Amino acid sequence: MNLLYKSYYFASYQCDKSRSFYLDFGHKQVKLSFCQLLSIRQKVNAINLDSHFDKDMNYNGIEILTLCNREHLFILDTLQVIDLKQLIKATFGMLELNSLVTHA
Amino acid sequence: MKDIVRQKIGINVDIMDMLNEQISKEAHSSAAYLAMASWCDHNGLVGSADYLYKQSSEEREHMMKIFRFINDNGGTAYSPEVTNVLHDFNSLQEIFETALDQEISITKSINNIVAKCRKVQDFASEQFLLWFVNEQMEEENKFRRILEIFDIMGTDGIALKLIDERIKHGE
Repeated sequence: MNLLYKSYYFASYQCDKSRSFYLDFGHKQVKLSFCQLLSIRQKVNAINLDSHFDKDMNYNGIEILTLCNREHLFILDTLQVIDLKQLIKATFGMLELNSLVTHA
Repeated sequence: MKDIVRQKIGINVDIMDMLNEQISKEAHSSAAYLAMASWCDHNGLVGSADYLYKQSSEEREHMMKIFRFINDNGGTAYSPEVTNVLHDFNSLQEIFETALDQEISITKSINNIVAKCRKVQDFASEQFLLWFVNEQMEEENKFRRILEIFDIMGTDGIALKLIDERIKHGE
C-alpha cells in the first residue's frame, strides 16, 4: 500500500492491487472505493468548523460522521475534525499530483 | 503508483465540485421561478405564470443535465438543498428584473467554471459547458426583451394586462 498522507491522528493510503483506498483512523482502518472517498470528502468539507466555536450551534463540539452507507460511524472532536479536513485536502492533493506525474 | 483516480473519473475533481455547486444554483433558480409563478397566479397574471412555470421546468432540466454529466463521468452528483426562496414581490416588473439578475448570476457562474476548465485542461467539461454558455445568452436576452416591453408600455392597468398576454405568447 502506498501512503498518500499522514496527519496527526489519521493516515490515507492507496492500494494498487485492490484499486481502492484506505483511511486509518488509529483504532481501525476503513477500505474505500473512489466513490466512497468522494463521499467522505463531501461530508468532511461540509462540516462547518465555525459551529464548533459557537455553543448555540454545536454545544458539545463534536461531529458524527457516517461512512460507506452507514457501515462505519465516527464521533470526532474539534481537533480531529480539523485534522481530518487537512487529511482529505492533502490526500486529494497527492492524488492530483500523482495524476500529473503519471500522465506527464 | 497507479493513477486510480483517473481510471475512475473522467473529469477533474475540482470541476466536479464546481458543477455540484452549479446544480444547487440551477435548483435554486428553478424554485425561484416557481415562487414567481405562484405570485403571478395569485395576482391574476396567468400569462406570466405560465411562462414562469415553463422557465422553472427548464432550469430543472439544466440541473439534471449537469447531474447526469457528473455521474456519467464517474463523479458523484449531490442532490441539492434549496433554501432562501423569495416569495414576496412588489410588481411584475420587479419579478422580471429579479429573473434577469438571476440569469446574469448563473451566466457568471458558468463562465467561471469554463475558465477553470481551461486552467486545469479539462476539455471534456469545457465542451459540455459550451452549450450552457449559449443557452445563458438566450435566457438573458429573453428577459431583457420582456423588460423592454415594460419600458415601452408602462406598468399600469390595461398595459399590464397586455404585457401579460404578450409574455404568454412569448412575443
